[in-house]
Amino acid sequence: MAGKNCVGIASDRRYGQYQTTIATDAQKIWKIHDKLYIGLSGLATDVQTFIEKLKFRITLYQLREERDIKPSCFAQLVSTMLYEKRFGPYFVEPVIAGLEGPNNEPYLCAMDLLGCTSTAKGFVVGGTPSEQLYGV
Amino acid sequence: MARRYDSRTTIFSPEGRLYQVEYAMEAISHAGVAVGILGTDGIVLAAEKKITSKLLEPGSSEKMYKVADHIACAVAGITADANILVNSARLSAQRHNFQYQEDIPVEQLLQSICDIKQGYTQYGGLRPFGVSFLFAGWDEHHGFQLYQSDPSGNYGGWKATAIGANNQSAQSILKQDYKADLTLSDAVGLAVKVLSKTMDSTTLTGEKLEVAVLYRENDEVVYRLLRDAEVDKKITELDLATPAEST
Repeated sequence: MAGKNCVGIASDRRYGQYQTTIATDAQKIWKIHDKLYIGLSGLATDVQTFIEKLKFRITLYQLREERDIKPSCFAQLVSTMLYEKRFGPYFVEPVIAGLEGPNNEPYLCAMDLLGCTSTAKGFVVGGTPSEQLYGV
Repeated sequence: MARRYDSRTTIFSPEGRLYQVEYAMEAISHAGVAVGILGTDGIVLAAEKKITSKLLEPGSSEKMYKVADHIACAVAGITADANILVNSARLSAQRHNFQYQEDIPVEQLLQSICDIKQGYTQYGGLRPFGVSFLFAGWDEHHGFQLYQSDPSGNYGGWKATAIGANNQSAQSILKQDYKADLTLSDAVGLAVKVLSKTMDSTTLTGEKLEVAVLYRENDEVVYRLLRDAEVDKKITELDLATPAEST
């Protein structure tokens, strides 16, 4: 969710299988850099693998470009990586929050598991209760 | 006589030499010198910038590259060749990190690059890479490490070493002045001093040098390129700005 030159991102910490709760300290949000966070919900194994693949790509980006990746560029990277698996996707629903440009404009973006992006100004949601989070 | 055995990289000469590899090293001996020194609490890499034009866009480095969070390198030789190998090194480090979820041990990274270099001396009929590297890194197994690699694919671990133009004179100064208990700050001073004595240019300023340090802070490895002003300060501290009396 966006505020004035700021963004916030939040998630629950449950890791469970059907009705059984296995962990209550699961990490679902990762810092990409000081002005960019990604939240990943969905199948835990895919969340784990996907964030590891993202870290691979982002580290190389930073080494080659010698700068932090822009949130909008990062979102495009995530989208492309997901669509590459169009016929055998990663079961993850990313939520991206960051600050872009010299004026720290909030950037919010959510995606489905195939990489379809939806950018919004106010707030974005993802995960099983996304309908409830939208509140409609 | 040797000319008949020059043209293919993948064959020996009758005397048992690989001429193309030797010619690659000859190319490197014309490149700007790079010096590496292992201190107790960090490593310094210092290099002479060959291209110092006022028209050059500042910010990009021709000698120093970060390879991973815990490994950096200095280059001597053909920059275009170096770019290929630095990219391979970066990919290799990330592939290891992805597979094992840990930082690649410095020597393993060296081996992967050196294996690539060696391949170009034995297969494919392509010329070898005209690059020598100084790799500086830290891992939890062996702490701070400094390695040198050359076009043949050989590498070695060093406490202090130099590559590029006048590297023999740099090495002999290092042999005299290196001590095992040098701190990183002392090592930076020694590196700058060695460069001042081996560089061809008459006056020494921060603009002509690239000095980088690798050290640990708060359980993390930090790689930092010194700013021109910091290098200038070191030069004045050591009183190296004026050229030494020639004998």
